[in-house]
Amino acid sequence: MFNRSGAAAEGFVPPSAEDFIFRPIFGDSLFFTKPALLVFFSVIVISVFFIATSRKALVVPSRAQFLGESIYGFVREVIGRDVIGPDFMKFVPFLFSLFTFILVNNIFGIIPIIQFPTMSHIGFPIALALFTYGVYHAVAIKHHGFFKYVKDICFMPGIPKPIYIILTPVELLTFLVTRPMTLSIRLFANMFAGHLLLLVFTIGGEHLLAGGIFMKVLSPFSFVMAIGLTFFEFGIQCLQAYIFTLLTALYIAGALSDAH
Amino acid sequence: MSVRDENAAWSIVGYLFSGMIFWGGIGWGLDSWLNTGYLRIVGLLVGTCASIYLIWLRYGRQ
Repeated sequence: MFNRSGAAAEGFVPPSAEDFIFRPIFGDSLFFTKPALLVFFSVIVISVFFIATSRKALVVPSRAQFLGESIYGFVREVIGRDVIGPDFMKFVPFLFSLFTFILVNNIFGIIPIIQFPTMSHIGFPIALALFTYGVYHAVAIKHHGFFKYVKDICFMPGIPKPIYIILTPVELLTFLVTRPMTLSIRLFANMFAGHLLLLVFTIGGEHLLAGGIFMKVLSPFSFVMAIGLTFFEFGIQCLQAYIFTLLTALYIAGALSDAH
Repeated sequence: MSVRDENAAWSIVGYLFSGMIFWGGIGWGLDSWLNTGYLRIVGLLVGTCASIYLIWLRYGRQ
């Protein structure tokens, strides 16, 4: 799965950002590489799983049906109802798609053979953050009206007028640029760093195994570390999917609330 | 950590960045226009003050 070859022969080559670049699958098109393939695959996986588990819904659910319903229930109750409040139901489909999509694409990072978290390519989190961005501004504009919304962002009540010259640009920049940026960068950085960490210990173990007798003795520790970190990564991957969806819900809740 | 705190934590990071980027950027622009070297520091300080003031307004007053 890696682009590297013969790493052991010419000394240890630490993993780098180049391990995140893949060869094109069809011809020379750089648009369709492994991450793009994984995104399509994830959509198929999610659709098949939820259609299969909900089509023949039983009153006493099977295991798969229970899992599917738990995930849906979690998004609806914990992320939707608790955060957004009474109007939550129309946002549940969006939140649910977001959550499952990010979750599956993150978990790809630790599935054998696939072993690549799609979200460690920054383009994907940016696209998702743009969706969130579009939704929460649209909700706010619909709820408050365009001019009142802009006024609410630009002018905080209860401060002397000259201070607005300093504060308003900062507010605007936060709402329009920094917030969606932190949203996508957090997801990207977590997945990128996690994948790199796994690569370090796996490739390190492999390199040690190819070395002299002392290195061979040490290599199991590296592999054990890699296995331990894989479980750790699983936690991080679920958490990041949750946080991304939660923050989306929070922004929507903020857009719906009257006091900004 | 409650949901509200989680939101506040990330918004605060966002505010700090925006303040420094905007006013630091203006200071840096003025520096290269006027051939000076200290305005970028002034800009960063103004931006940080603005961010902290905004954070206090939004989250510190309750």
